[in-house]
Amino acid sequence: MKALIVMSSKDNVGNAIEDIVGGDEVSYTVDGAQHVITAQDEIPFGFKAAVQDIPAGGDIIKYKEVVGRAAVDIKAGECVHIHNVEGKRGRGDIPGGQA
Amino acid sequence: MKFLGYVRPDGSTGIRNHTLVMANGRGAATLAAMVSKLVSGTRLFIQPNENGRDGDDRKTIARTMIGLAKNANVGAVLIVGNKPDAGYPEFSYDAFVGEIAKSGKPMETVFMKDCGGFQDALGLAVRKCRNLVQKASETPRTEVDFGALNMAVKCGYSDATSGMSGNPVVGHLFDTLVDNGGRAMFAETTEVIGAEHIVAKRFTDEGERDKFLRAVERVEEEARSTGEDIRTINPIPANIQAGLTTLEEKSLGAIVKSGTRPIQGCTQYGEIPEGRGLYYMDSWMSSTALFLGFAAAGSVLNIFQVGGGWFPDDAMMPTVNTGLITPTLYMTGNPRTWDKGWREMDFNSGTVITEKEPIADAGGRLVDEVLAFASGRLTKGETLDIRDNVEVYLRGPGL
Repeated sequence: MKALIVMSSKDNVGNAIEDIVGGDEVSYTVDGAQHVITAQDEIPFGFKAAVQDIPAGGDIIKYKEVVGRAAVDIKAGECVHIHNVEGKRGRGDIPGGQA
Repeated sequence: MKFLGYVRPDGSTGIRNHTLVMANGRGAATLAAMVSKLVSGTRLFIQPNENGRDGDDRKTIARTMIGLAKNANVGAVLIVGNKPDAGYPEFSYDAFVGEIAKSGKPMETVFMKDCGGFQDALGLAVRKCRNLVQKASETPRTEVDFGALNMAVKCGYSDATSGMSGNPVVGHLFDTLVDNGGRAMFAETTEVIGAEHIVAKRFTDEGERDKFLRAVERVEEEARSTGEDIRTINPIPANIQAGLTTLEEKSLGAIVKSGTRPIQGCTQYGEIPEGRGLYYMDSWMSSTALFLGFAAAGSVLNIFQVGGGWFPDDAMMPTVNTGLITPTLYMTGNPRTWDKGWREMDFNSGTVITEKEPIADAGGRLVDEVLAFASGRLTKGETLDIRDNVEVYLRGPGL
């Protein structure tokens, strides 16, 4: 089975440590408990997958910290990258500078 | 834990024994370059043009040069110039030559004004430089404690492995170094945005913490002033191609390289910290500027911790050597990068992913490697006689 690394139990994304394609069963371990999800699309090595559903506007959590927000609804098993996530900091394109 | 290092007159410990050749003003750069080319065992630093720069930038240039000369990897220094006082006050004889002389290491000066011109200055400078190199070569390596080291780290080509298996292993090394009385530095103000709240808590001094937070605010404001989505600037395209999504994610993975110990201070680019322990240097992310700044701040061994997940399959790892007098230890936590780039890299912690090696075990292996490099083993980068272009981190306009 393919694998993700999820850094903390608070995180809602994990990183692929091998190339994953849609339909793959993918396992990850958090706090000693193993979980399995089904990849919804391609998740290349080093890219992130959602391990739970994240609604549009919801926080993306990695390292127990907010690393951005979902630009659209993201389903568990979907690749999480710049097509569906926005950074929140230092944004000159947004009034006030923070998304 | 011991290694064999060069103990300098001021008590600092180097791991290399170069003679540094510099000009006290841009006008004598060619003279410095010709001397360095002719004399073995030398390293050359040519400064950016100090003319037309504001006071802060001139101070940065002077601080960088004085720091390079004081670095413990330098066994002797040759300063050349048109005349002893090179113009701006930062390059007056006392402020520049006098400050370097405080290190107590062998030093000579040659000024064209005293020699009747370029050609006689060149002859005298070559003669003096050969003597300096010979004198420096008499310095023996002696056994010193691990804690005598000053080290610094930059991460680059970041990807997901940077935060999982690369930077945490450096963090373990830095914790070990700090616990043994050493000095460690990390930097890159752009790449603490989104993680500054975590770093800030570790400052022991409130004033230093404020300096750090003001630096982050300044850089974030500069990012906003571009009018762009930050992702068009940072994460850089290579980071995004490797799977990093936002600056916050990159920052959180990056700060792990600093380890977990208290942070003693927030220093300027190229500023030599006053004490031992862990320091943050307010600076730019560019590798052509940062490794030089680390060297000026006293680092005798720079670590370049790379992710590299964007590399094409047949790429040769580019060897960046911008520390001039301070070697770069290349390492990666990405097993694929190691498979592709091991010919150019010194250390692999991708085993944290492939073998489930504990971070502490990989960190212990890295400590052993550092001791070997500190005792004289060359890094792979050092086996090529290449020194990349460098730049001093200047912030002001050219006027």
